[in-house]
Amino acid sequence: MSRVELLTPEGLRVDGRRPAELRKITSTTAVLSQADGSAYLEHGNTKVLAAVYGPREARHRTLVVHDRAIINVEFNIAPFSTGERRRRGKNDKRLLEMASFIKQSFEPVVITTLYPRSQVDIYLQVIQQDGGVLQACINAATMALIDAGVAMTDYVCACTAGWVEREAAIDLNHIEESSDTSEVTIAMLPKSGKVTLAQMESRLHVDKLEALFTLAGEGCKQIHQVLDRTIRNRAEELAQKLAV
Amino acid sequence: MPSLISPAERDYILKGIECNIRADGRQRSDFREITLETSVVSQTSGSARVRIAGGSDVLISVKAEIGPVQVDPETGDGADKGQIICSIECAPSASQQFEGRGADDLNNELTQMMSRFLCSNNTAISSLSPTCSGSGGIDLSKLCIIPGQQCWILFVDALVLDYGGNLMDAIFMGVRAAIYDTKIPKTEVQDLGDGQFEFEVLDDEEDIDFVHGREDMPICITLNKIGTRHIVDATLLEELCTEAKLVVAVNRAGEICGLQKNHDGSIEPSLLLEMIQVGKTMGQALIKNLDAKIKEEAESDLTKRLQGDPARKLGFFAQ
Repeated sequence: MSRVELLTPEGLRVDGRRPAELRKITSTTAVLSQADGSAYLEHGNTKVLAAVYGPREARHRTLVVHDRAIINVEFNIAPFSTGERRRRGKNDKRLLEMASFIKQSFEPVVITTLYPRSQVDIYLQVIQQDGGVLQACINAATMALIDAGVAMTDYVCACTAGWVEREAAIDLNHIEESSDTSEVTIAMLPKSGKVTLAQMESRLHVDKLEALFTLAGEGCKQIHQVLDRTIRNRAEELAQKLAV
Repeated sequence: MPSLISPAERDYILKGIECNIRADGRQRSDFREITLETSVVSQTSGSARVRIAGGSDVLISVKAEIGPVQVDPETGDGADKGQIICSIECAPSASQQFEGRGADDLNNELTQMMSRFLCSNNTAISSLSPTCSGSGGIDLSKLCIIPGQQCWILFVDALVLDYGGNLMDAIFMGVRAAIYDTKIPKTEVQDLGDGQFEFEVLDDEEDIDFVHGREDMPICITLNKIGTRHIVDATLLEELCTEAKLVVAVNRAGEICGLQKNHDGSIEPSLLLEMIQVGKTMGQALIKNLDAKIKEEAESDLTKRLQGDPARKLGFFAQ
């Protein structure tokens, strides 16, 4: 069986990156008119749109929690986002699982006690997939929540890391992901360094795990800087508009 | 998306329209600013994003895939035709009402309308399924690879990301632009004798076909009857005051390709004819403008590519 060469003899990856190098991240906030907060984020060729509604009155009375807000996440993948067209139903187990991962990583960070008896909705739409969908979604959701002005204790930044052939690498793309690489996704609070999500779906020797975690943590910190810059630029832009 | 409007606000909009001045300063026949960009999603055969200033935002992708031809069991039609399969999906980011299964009815209604308008000479049977067997300008027989066996299937997927009124017009403009942008690889058919055929898809980037008849695709103009007048490109609030809606699909030759009256109100026959006439003239003018812009973009992309520059797309960074 012919295998794709994931690492050149010089130690470069399929897309020419070094192992500890992120793909280009570009992002912008406030892209939608109806949502309270929205963000669009690209990790290389992975493109995600996030919209946040709320805090608002809970839609179902049975779900109301009297002392805090509930977070509701809906995760959708566009049928044209992959090479082969594929439509996923609303009840696709994979989609629901992803939504609950995202929900769990935000629950410790959003100060829900400030908004009793209400609901915060996070809607995620994947437009193009090229590896690292979960990390892109979490990063986009962070930005959309900030754009909506929802109180949070910190950013949530997510990054993947994987063991590509003989080296640990971060921010895997689709080719690396799909060729039997063990991949870890972690979401971290960059200020405190706490991890709110850790997920791995394949087998990896325990000795190699620590290296991956440190690398992914470094990645999260880099991502935090990139996101923070966008948010600050946007805030400055808004402040200038107010001043006129 | 609000679903209620106060009597005072309704009155304000109604009287404004009577005086030919709308809340945002437009006249009855004015469109908002339209932003259109093609080739925005790289893994598709063709794509487009349409944004109407301050409102609706639609992303359309066309994917060409090879599949078996679909033959109508009753008429035997379709053996030498390709297919177009439409699907419109409203994302919950557009409105809180689209959460979960909330958008199913609207999705279905829009998908059916689009399938019908793209396939104007449909038989009754095929109009019940979202699979097109006729054409709204598009020459489906050119999409056939081996008659009776294999054909190209164009999957047209529209994703409504933001909702600010006048959805149908935005979707149709986008679909037309995306199909205009669609590039299908050329195929080479070999005759193996005794009715056996084999084909090969050429993977050279230069060996591509465009969709035949793409210039003749219709767009649609939605006219909203408010009071005794009618307006185009209604905003969300104006849509809430609308008594009756008329969707007129028109192609560049000014032929009416489809009509649909929506909403609960009714239209007098004389006004109906007038509205169709207005829809026709406005649609024709809009197609002319759109075509000029799409051609301009395609040419500038081509010159950039010849010079070796990557064609930069604004996508969501266009504001």
